[in-house]
Amino acid sequence: MLPNLKAQSKWGWLIAGYLFLAGLGGGAYVTGAVAGLLDTPEWATIAKIGVSLGFPCVAVGCLFLLADLGSFKNFWRAAMRPNSSWIARGTIIITLFMIIGAIHIALGVCTDRLAEDAGLRHIISALGIIFGLGTMIYTGILLAAARPIAFWSTAMLPLLFLVSALSTGIMAVVALASLVETAHVESIHYLARIDMAIIVLEMFVLGFYLQGSHRVPESRASARLVLAGTLAPMFWLGVALLGLVVPLSLDLVGVFSLSGGAAVSITLVASICGIIGGLLLRLVILSAGIHAPLKVGRFEIALPIV
Amino acid sequence: MPRYGFAIDLKRCYGCYSCQVACKAANHTPQGVDWARCVPAETGSFPAALRQMVPLVCQQCAEPECLKVCPTGATTQDENGIVHVDKDLCMGCKYCIMACPYGARQTVEEWKAYFPDAGGDLDPYEKHAKSAWEKKNGYGIASKCDYCTDRVKDGRQPACVESCPAKARTFGDLDDPESEISILIRRERGFQLNPEFGTDPSCYYLPPR
Repeated sequence: MLPNLKAQSKWGWLIAGYLFLAGLGGGAYVTGAVAGLLDTPEWATIAKIGVSLGFPCVAVGCLFLLADLGSFKNFWRAAMRPNSSWIARGTIIITLFMIIGAIHIALGVCTDRLAEDAGLRHIISALGIIFGLGTMIYTGILLAAARPIAFWSTAMLPLLFLVSALSTGIMAVVALASLVETAHVESIHYLARIDMAIIVLEMFVLGFYLQGSHRVPESRASARLVLAGTLAPMFWLGVALLGLVVPLSLDLVGVFSLSGGAAVSITLVASICGIIGGLLLRLVILSAGIHAPLKVGRFEIALPIV
Repeated sequence: MPRYGFAIDLKRCYGCYSCQVACKAANHTPQGVDWARCVPAETGSFPAALRQMVPLVCQQCAEPECLKVCPTGATTQDENGIVHVDKDLCMGCKYCIMACPYGARQTVEEWKAYFPDAGGDLDPYEKHAKSAWEKKNGYGIASKCDYCTDRVKDGRQPACVESCPAKARTFGDLDDPESEISILIRRERGFQLNPEFGTDPSCYYLPPR
């Protein structure tokens, strides 16, 4: 008889906010850096917007993380064990990303140094893209390394977080670009079209991820919690509807049947919905983390023990 | 170097909670933290229902998950196989709580008074316990059972072992094949909890029947 399994309660809003902002910052930066490498006037504003989001979003995410620490005076020690701990590895990755991101903003957005020096721009962008991808991926690997939590401990989770981070990053760039006058409207539409493909990919990945959680009783309990339990409203309305279906539909309408200002407004609304959905996705997954029960012979004890 | 371990006899435990109280008294743990405890478990349904009290303690794994995930290096393992937390290095990220398959790592935000209805200050015994706790541990950081390392150094047994009236808990050297604990584990066919995580706990359970 399976005991009453409860989800973990130690990692909540603050950690979800950190994972979300780190992903969005990484995704927005990668979008901007790639646009910058295309080196055409149509993509110039989008490149600047993307790069400008990178360092600040990740930095604010880190503030969320520091707020969650029980003893934050030791926060600088977080990088001490990269040989075994994914938090340590991640600390190094996002610190390097923030440094590169800040340098890129200083040289590429605040001044025009990088517009003149293509070689330097290529080096900084390449490094930034590598560490931006690392930032997006490691947030998923971090959770996947918690082995007793079967709902998290799967290779699908880093993939889901990567796709979601890329999607929210692009949507953040699209949202800001549609508010800025100098942005090239065709480029915004192009980005929106790319994002539609990524949203469809994210739907498939999310579906595979949830399907794959049928492995063990505790991951099934997590999936039940998400799909039909207390987290179901947040998942179906916040993640599935607001985060995936609504942005996809609005983008379809905006890109294929409207044009000009109306299309841009629609993609702005779509992006805001998708960004909120990305945050809620992280929160749902964190709130559904259930530990494997202790198996003592034929008896089972649910964790955490209260 | 002795590798310390536990053998917990499920035939003997009848759920008096002496171990839980003795551990709390010896280690001055606050509310919400129980390093040694006794947990009821049930299986089956009427007319074939079974109930078993399960004494729990940190499993002091040979391959600890908590040590692997700790980013600051606050979690270390000594030569006896016991996993320690250095309160000055822990930053309270709670990754170890996610990673431990046995729920052995615990954290509290503050000292909640045991007798809030008594009104006013804590009584002198609780004040002493609170300051003793703050000397060796703290709030917001991870804490765990350390097999009463200080008592063992003095030649005594861990508090939960000493207090068990049914002698359900046995403490000893797993590396010594002639020690009481090694003989018990061999003879009674002791098993480990959740071996699928590959943690190789030093805590063995002797089957109930």
